[in-house]
Amino acid sequence: MAGRNYYLMIAGVGGQGSVLLSRIIGDAALMKGLSVRIGETFGAAQRGGAVHSHVRIGEEVYGPLLIEDEADALLALEPLEGLRRGVIYLKPGGIAVVNTRKVYPIDVNVGAADYPEVEKILDALKKLGARLVAYDFTKLAEEAGTTRAMNIAVLGAYARMIEEADAPFDKVTLLEAMKGRVPKRWLDANIKAFELGYKVADEEISGK
Amino acid sequence: MKHVVGLDEPGKRVILQGNEAFARGAVEAGVQVAAGYPGTPSSEIMETLSMVAKDLGFHAEWAVNEKVALDVAVGAASVGARTIATMKNAGTNWVMDMFSTVVYGGLPGALVIVSADDPEAFYSSTEEDTRFLAKGVGVMILEPSTQQEAKDMTKAAFDYSERFELPVFIRSVTRISHSSGDVTFGEIRKERNPIFFDRHYKLPFRYNVYGPFKYKGKTGPTAKHAWQLEQLEKIKEFVNEVPFNKIEKGSTRLGIIAAGMGYAYVKDSLIKLDAEGKPWILKVGTPFPLPEKLLKEFIDSVDKILVVEEGDPFIEEQLYAFMKEYAPEKPIYGKTKNQVLLRYGELGLSQVVNAVAKFLGLNPPKVDESRKKLKEEISAIIAPRSSALCPGCQHLGTYWGLRFALIKVASKFKDKWKGVWIVNGDIGCYEQGGYGIFAKEIIPSTKKESKRYMFNNPYEILDTNYIMGGGIGLAQGQYQAGYRDGPIVAVAGDSTFFHACMPALANAVYNKAAITFIVMDNSWTAMTGHQPSPSSGWTAMGEPARVIKIEDVAKALGVEHVFTVDPYDIKATEETIMKAILTSVEKKVPTVVVARRECALQVARRASRSGVNLTYYTVNQDKCIGCTLCVQLGCPAVGWDKEKKKAFIDPVLCVACGLCAQVCPVKAIVPAKEGVKLTEVK
Ligand SMILES: Cc1ncc(C[n+]2csc(CCOP(=O)(O)OP(=O)(O)O)c2C)c(N)n1
Repeated sequence: MAGRNYYLMIAGVGGQGSVLLSRIIGDAALMKGLSVRIGETFGAAQRGGAVHSHVRIGEEVYGPLLIEDEADALLALEPLEGLRRGVIYLKPGGIAVVNTRKVYPIDVNVGAADYPEVEKILDALKKLGARLVAYDFTKLAEEAGTTRAMNIAVLGAYARMIEEADAPFDKVTLLEAMKGRVPKRWLDANIKAFELGYKVADEEISGK
Repeated sequence: MKHVVGLDEPGKRVILQGNEAFARGAVEAGVQVAAGYPGTPSSEIMETLSMVAKDLGFHAEWAVNEKVALDVAVGAASVGARTIATMKNAGTNWVMDMFSTVVYGGLPGALVIVSADDPEAFYSSTEEDTRFLAKGVGVMILEPSTQQEAKDMTKAAFDYSERFELPVFIRSVTRISHSSGDVTFGEIRKERNPIFFDRHYKLPFRYNVYGPFKYKGKTGPTAKHAWQLEQLEKIKEFVNEVPFNKIEKGSTRLGIIAAGMGYAYVKDSLIKLDAEGKPWILKVGTPFPLPEKLLKEFIDSVDKILVVEEGDPFIEEQLYAFMKEYAPEKPIYGKTKNQVLLRYGELGLSQVVNAVAKFLGLNPPKVDESRKKLKEEISAIIAPRSSALCPGCQHLGTYWGLRFALIKVASKFKDKWKGVWIVNGDIGCYEQGGYGIFAKEIIPSTKKESKRYMFNNPYEILDTNYIMGGGIGLAQGQYQAGYRDGPIVAVAGDSTFFHACMPALANAVYNKAAITFIVMDNSWTAMTGHQPSPSSGWTAMGEPARVIKIEDVAKALGVEHVFTVDPYDIKATEETIMKAILTSVEKKVPTVVVARRECALQVARRASRSGVNLTYYTVNQDKCIGCTLCVQLGCPAVGWDKEKKKAFIDPVLCVACGLCAQVCPVKAIVPAKEGVKLTEVK
C-alpha cells in the first residue's frame, strides 16, 4: 500500500518560470527519497500562453496528472491562471500562494473578454476553501534584484505556508533544491526573493 | 558534460523529462548517430543528445525534415551503426516511404525510431496514433508507461533491433515525453559497433530492394517481403519474454489490459480506489505484436476485460481479432463496442479512475453538488487566454504589414474582383495567426459564395492551416481551380521553408501559379524551442554552418520576383508585400517576400546573458488618444485599460522592439527609461 501522496498544481503564463519551479519542488521531493511525477502543458506558444504543471509526490506514483479537488497546494504565478486551475484542482483546505500581478490575455486586450478583478479571484479561491496568501510577488522579486525571481518569491511564501500543514519537505530542503537549479549569477537575487516571499507569508500567518 | 544524461554514473537517481530519458537510453546503448527534426513533444530527445554528443563521441544532427533524418539514420545503420531517429506524430507521416521500405532488407546496425504522439493535440494538428503506421510496416512497437521505462525501453530497443535486424519503433505520448519523473541510471555500453560495408551482408543485395535476391521462389521486393515476415514471426515469439510485458495477478476475475500511460493511470486509479490487487493486470509494453502467450494466460484467469490505452483502440482491435477465436464469450470494455473511454482527447487520470471504478463496481471519487455549483459560478468569471505571439515577435510586424497590404490591394481592384483574399497559413509560431480569439463566438455561414471577414488583430489573419509546407501547395490549387475573387497568399517560416516548401515553390514556378509566398525568416525553428534551421548558421552540436539564404533558393528555383524586408519596419513591410501581391496578380507568376528579422526571444535572451539592460516602452497617457491601433498589433505586452480607455504597456513583458511605437499615430509610445532597444542588441 502506498502512503499518502502529495499533490501540487502550478499555474502561470509562459515565461514566468513555472517549469523551473516544478523541477525545484521535484528535486526537494527526491532529496526526501520520494518518487516524483511532473506533468507539464504549456500551449503552443513560447511565451504568453497558459502554462501549468501537475506535481505528484509520494512513495508510489505512476502518472503525472492530478484529479479534481486533489491539490494540496496551488502555486499561482498569475491570478487568472491560478483561478483557472484552482477551481478544478485545489482541495478544500489546500494552500494557495497567488501572485497578484496580472498578465492580460489577448482576449481582454482586443475587448472580447473582461479580466476579473483580482479581489474577486482571491475571494473565489477562498470560497473554494483555500488557505491563501496573495501578494505582488513580481514587485517583491524586483526588490530582490530581478522580476524573474518572482517564481522563487512564490516558493518562499509556500515554504512558510507548509510549516502550518502536512508536506513532504520543509523550508531548508526547498531552499537547497532552489540553489541547485537557478543560474549562478542570479543566485543571490533568488535567495533574497525566497526570503522576502517567506516573510510575506509569515506576516500573513501571524496576522501582522 | 553539458547534460546529466551523459554522466557515467550507474545507479544515479535524477528527475528526467521523458524526452531526456529517451536520450539517456540511447546514451546507455552507445548510440553512434542520432538524427531528428524538431516537433513538440519530441524535440528534447535530440536536443539532449546533441548536448552530450561531442563529449561522448557520437554524431547528432537536426536534419531539414524527418524524412531526411530517417534516411540519414538508415544510412548509418546500413554501415553497422547504432542509430536513433526522433520525430513527432506528424513527422512519422513524413518518413513512411523509407520506413515501409527499409524493413524489406533490414539492417546490420540498430535503428530505433521514436515517435511522439500528442493525444489532446496540445501541440499538433491531429491526435494521430502512429502505432498504426508501425504495425502497417510490421515492426516491433514499444510503449513506455513511465520515464524510467522510457529510458530502459530505448536501451533495450537497440538490442532488439540488432537481434532481428529490423527497426524498432518506440511510441511516446505527450504525457511521457513532457512529463518528468525519477529515473535511475544504468550502465553505459562502452563498445561501439564496427563501421563496415558489405552489400551482401547476410542477405544478397541487402540494401537494394530491387536487387536479384531470391527467396521462397520470389525475387526482388517480394522475396525481401517474405524474409521480413519470417522475422516478424520470430518477434511474435520473442515479445512473450521481454520484461516490459507482464501479468500482475488479481484477487477477482476482472482483468485490465493496460499499455503506456494507460498503465500508469490504472495503477494510480487502483491506489485512489483502494483496490490494488483486485483486478488482474496485463501490462503491455509491446502493443505490437501482442504477447500472445501471456495474453492467453491472462484471458484464462478473467471473465471480462477492460482495455486502457492512450490514443486509438489499437490493442483493443487486435484483442477483438484474437478473442474471436480464443474466447469469444468474454466481453471487452474500452473504446469500441462496450465504450467506457472516449476515443478522442487524452485518456487522463480522471477518466480512467471513473472507468476502472465502474469496471470493478466501486464508487468513483465524487464532488458534491453544492461544490459543483460553486465551481460553475466561479468558472463563469474566468476569461479565456488565447494563445498569442511573444512580446516583440517579428511576425507581429509581418502580419501588420500583410493585413494592411491586403486591405489596400483589395480596394485597388474594387471593380475587378470581390476583394476576398485567401491567406494560407503554415506550421510555426506564425500559425497562431489562425488560432483566433477564444472569447469570440463565430457563427458559421451556409452560402457557397466568397465572403470577406475583417479583423482587428493578427490572430485571425490565416484562412487555412493544416500541415508543414501545406500552405504554398494549397495556394496553387486555389489559383489553378480558377479562384479570382482576390489575391492568394501563403506564409511559412524558415524552418518550414527548408522542410517542405522548396518542391512546392518549384511547382508554383513551373506550373505558373500567380500567388504570393511570404517566408517569415526568424533564423530559428522557434516554435519548437529554437533549434537551428539552415537559416541559423549553427549545427545541432554547436558548430558554425553555412547559412542558406532563402532568396537564393527561391531565385534558383526560378522565382523572378523575390523581395526582402525587415518586419520591424512596418511601413516597408506593408509596401513590399503589396508590391509582391500586385506583381503576382499583374504578371501571373509566383512572387516571394522574405521577411527577415531574428526571433525577438533569442535576441532578448542573448541580451540578458551578456548583461545588457533592455529598456521598455511606455504609453504617455496624456498623449494617447485611445485609438487602439497599438493594441491591434496583438503584442501581449500592450494592454488596454477599459476604464481609462487608454493603452498601457506591461514593463515586465516588453522587450523594447519598438513596433507599437511605429503604429502609434500620435507618437505617444516612447522608451520609459535609459537602456538598450532590442534592435541595438548584437
Ligand atoms: C511534419 C512536422 N514536423 C514537425 C512539426 C513541429 N513543428 C511545429 S512548428 C515547426 C517549425 C517552426 O519553424 P519555422 O517555420 O521556422 O517558424 P517559427 O516557429 O520559427 O516562426 C515545427 C518543426 C510539425 N508540426 N510537423
